[in-house]
Amino acid sequence: MLVFFRDGFYKDLIILLVLTVIIGAVFAQGVAWAIDTYFGDTLDGMIGEYGEYDVILHIREEAKETALRELERIGEQSFPGYKLNQTLTIAGQANFFFGFPETHRTKEVLEGITSYFGAVPGINGYTLMVEPSVLIRGVHPAVREDLMEQIEALSGVRFVVKDGVNLVVVLAEEDGSADITRKVEDILQKYQILELRFPMGFEVDTQEVGEQALAILHSHSSPGQSEYKNVTSAQYGEDLDAFLKALVEMRDFLGSYASQVRLVPDPQVNLGVGELIILEDDLLIEVTGIYGDHVEGMIVEGSPVQSMDTIVQAGYRYLGPGERGEFVADVEIENERYRLAYAVDESLRLLAELEELSVQASTAVNNAEGVLTTFQEALMQLEVLQVQMRQLNEGITNGDAKSSGEQFLVTLLLNGLFQTLAQGVIHTGEESLDSLQNLDIEEMRESLAGISAQISNVQEIDVAAIMEQIGFVRDTLPNLNDAEIGQSIRLINTYLGGQVIPGERVQLLIEGQHVDEKALESLFREELENPYMHTYSTSVGMVTPDARGEVFRILKEVRSIVAGMLSIIFTMIVLVLDHATVFSTLKFLRANDRPNKRRWARLFNPLLVLGGVLGSLILTSVYYLSRSQIPFVSLPFVVFLGFALGGLIVVFAERFSPVHSMELMAGQSLGLSNVQIMREIVIPPSRPGLLNLLNRFRQQF
Amino acid sequence: MLEIRDLRKSYGKLVALDGVDLTVSRGETVVIMGPSGCGKSTLIRCVNRLTEPDSGTILVKGQDIMALDSGELQEFRRNVGFVFQQFNLIGRLTVLENVMFHLVLGGMDLEEARSRGRVVLDKVGLKGAEQRRPHELSGGQQQRVGIARALVTNPEIMLWDEPTASLDPILVSEVLEVMEELVRTTATTMLIVTHEVSFALRVAERIVFMDKGQVVEEGVPKEIFADPQSEIARLYKRLLVT
Repeated sequence: MLVFFRDGFYKDLIILLVLTVIIGAVFAQGVAWAIDTYFGDTLDGMIGEYGEYDVILHIREEAKETALRELERIGEQSFPGYKLNQTLTIAGQANFFFGFPETHRTKEVLEGITSYFGAVPGINGYTLMVEPSVLIRGVHPAVREDLMEQIEALSGVRFVVKDGVNLVVVLAEEDGSADITRKVEDILQKYQILELRFPMGFEVDTQEVGEQALAILHSHSSPGQSEYKNVTSAQYGEDLDAFLKALVEMRDFLGSYASQVRLVPDPQVNLGVGELIILEDDLLIEVTGIYGDHVEGMIVEGSPVQSMDTIVQAGYRYLGPGERGEFVADVEIENERYRLAYAVDESLRLLAELEELSVQASTAVNNAEGVLTTFQEALMQLEVLQVQMRQLNEGITNGDAKSSGEQFLVTLLLNGLFQTLAQGVIHTGEESLDSLQNLDIEEMRESLAGISAQISNVQEIDVAAIMEQIGFVRDTLPNLNDAEIGQSIRLINTYLGGQVIPGERVQLLIEGQHVDEKALESLFREELENPYMHTYSTSVGMVTPDARGEVFRILKEVRSIVAGMLSIIFTMIVLVLDHATVFSTLKFLRANDRPNKRRWARLFNPLLVLGGVLGSLILTSVYYLSRSQIPFVSLPFVVFLGFALGGLIVVFAERFSPVHSMELMAGQSLGLSNVQIMREIVIPPSRPGLLNLLNRFRQQF
Repeated sequence: MLEIRDLRKSYGKLVALDGVDLTVSRGETVVIMGPSGCGKSTLIRCVNRLTEPDSGTILVKGQDIMALDSGELQEFRRNVGFVFQQFNLIGRLTVLENVMFHLVLGGMDLEEARSRGRVVLDKVGLKGAEQRRPHELSGGQQQRVGIARALVTNPEIMLWDEPTASLDPILVSEVLEVMEELVRTTATTMLIVTHEVSFALRVAERIVFMDKGQVVEEGVPKEIFADPQSEIARLYKRLLVT
């Protein structure tokens, strides 16, 4: 294959490559520059020339007409010589650009924007865009005043304006921007905010802990090394607090809903929180707390047997799936979830029985009242009879006795009658009857009435509704097994543990030599006796470009992306128009070569490698020289992409640029060299490209 | 002049040449005949390595063609005229340019090349067609341009790869006439692949019959057709009779 290039065609190819890269880079760069310029001009048209406007006033769209009149009035009255321009209306918000005359471009005016424009109808806020300026975002309130003082002392700085949590450093001249930016960054570098974060569940007095932390810092640093200050600020908003509280409640509920696991560790074994223990029935337990001899755990895999009784099993150290270590503890499991479900089911049964019971009790009370009435009537009749008997007996005893035999007979009859009526109840004669009379029938009746009333009350209870609601509660209980509960608790703990949502935090301002927050973490954990706290380090503010600078930065990115895309497209076009012809010819010639006997050589296609290298060379050079930059596309990827494009062109070369094989063969048969064949036969009728154009200077016919 | 020994060529599993041996003397006209796909064209293309043989030896005037490097091969090819079945003219060039452009590229003065080009065009009966393009010519004329292009270097060997196969019968004769004339008037060694039996009988000093990549019979035309030994020769004899 190298023979093809050796007799002179390599020169043509080198010239082609150099020109391709130069033209490609200029083309990609040029188009990108044109786009950049166009958008830049458009942007200037929208937001004015550099330094023309100082503030963007955001007005509700429906009030923009009124607002415009009011802004004009304020301008004429307070800022003669002002500039005003209404630009884009985005998402129902009109934006007015307002420029102060130079005499009014002062710190007082810029900090008093609200006092001037706060009454404009429909105003929704404002954005400062003073130019030239340097913007410091997210300035910590503890250092704001110090920073302003220091920055205002810098040469080239007119003044510093507070804008919410940001500081706008207004410069005297645009040229000093880079220098001031560097100096401001140097000032910011002197400060460091060290933050101590505590997980949820560790409620701490932040001020007290802050002072403790300061003391720790002082005791572990050299005198005069740095200055430390407790600058702990307010905590989170109410919404987040409520959410965190809900998470804690949810975790506690799930914890009590899950099976309760207690471990009785083997005295020879030391267990640690987080350790996994596997039971005989493959339940996996995680140790969640160790309180002296009392160890608690949580099921994280598997579900226990449903039983009201406490399940006791031997626990072994978990070494991995299917592997268990030595015995570590006896594990007692109480399936609270099953117990709760059982209790709910039993309650439902009880209520059903209660309803039935109240009906039967009501009937029984009614019957008892009937019996009592009958008994009372019988007692009255006995009383009457008793009087009659007494009278009869007296008559017999006191009257003229007709005969002792009659007397005896009457007495006998009365006794018999008495026995028949009283049936043993009154067999004891008058004493017994008296005792019956002493029974408080009315009280008994009242008692029965009371019972009846209570039964009525019971019957009035809507047992069906209660049962329905208990059933509803049972059905709405979380349908979670122990493993799912365990995993949910773990997840909530990660949130509450500060990995997702930070808990309480203490902020310390460090001025001077910075500290290594990770090195201090273990120290704070030990000294503050809280192994779960974390330390973080943040800056007191961040220098960012101003609004226009940001837009131009984006434009620059767009320019780089456009240049990158054009580089790729240009490479593809060049490969198709120029190099496909060369590869098409090479493939034809190679097909006629003597087959290589070596197996590896038959599998290896040098044309693919050549195409790949050529593609890489062109794309990488054009991409680099045109200062292209596509996000997430690294230079090695560009090299790879070029290689892939080159390879692709080799594979489909005949389709992109077919050669006239008959003419080519004629050239060979006439004894033409490869370079002559290329220049006189192959390239002239090929696709119009740079190769074709350059060839015109070399071809003879 | 030309000696071919044990020449072999395969296209994948298809064996095109299977140990061909052939010797052609200086000035001799040898016609190769055989059915389509028997390896005739492959053999003739192997002679100037338009097709690279897998193995074997090709000696031209004692020089091993297989051992030539790129430059030597180009030099060798300039002394070997090749006439293609499909003419293989350069479409964008005029007739005259087609005939002389390789002379110029080979270093000849432009005017001298033009002059030689006109001479050979006149020889093949195309005087006056110098400025026409190939697509403006008939098939027979195009083939005559191809012949002129091969002749213009005064080659020592002429290789003809079925020069009339792409022509309709009316045009065949005009090409055959030119070929016969050349055979009669030049001392060039000629190796002609054709199916034209009567033409072969007229011009060939020797006929070689091929079948399945091998030479199956060769000899003086009259002797072969008088008593053909191979099936292929017998088939061609029948064609001659009809």
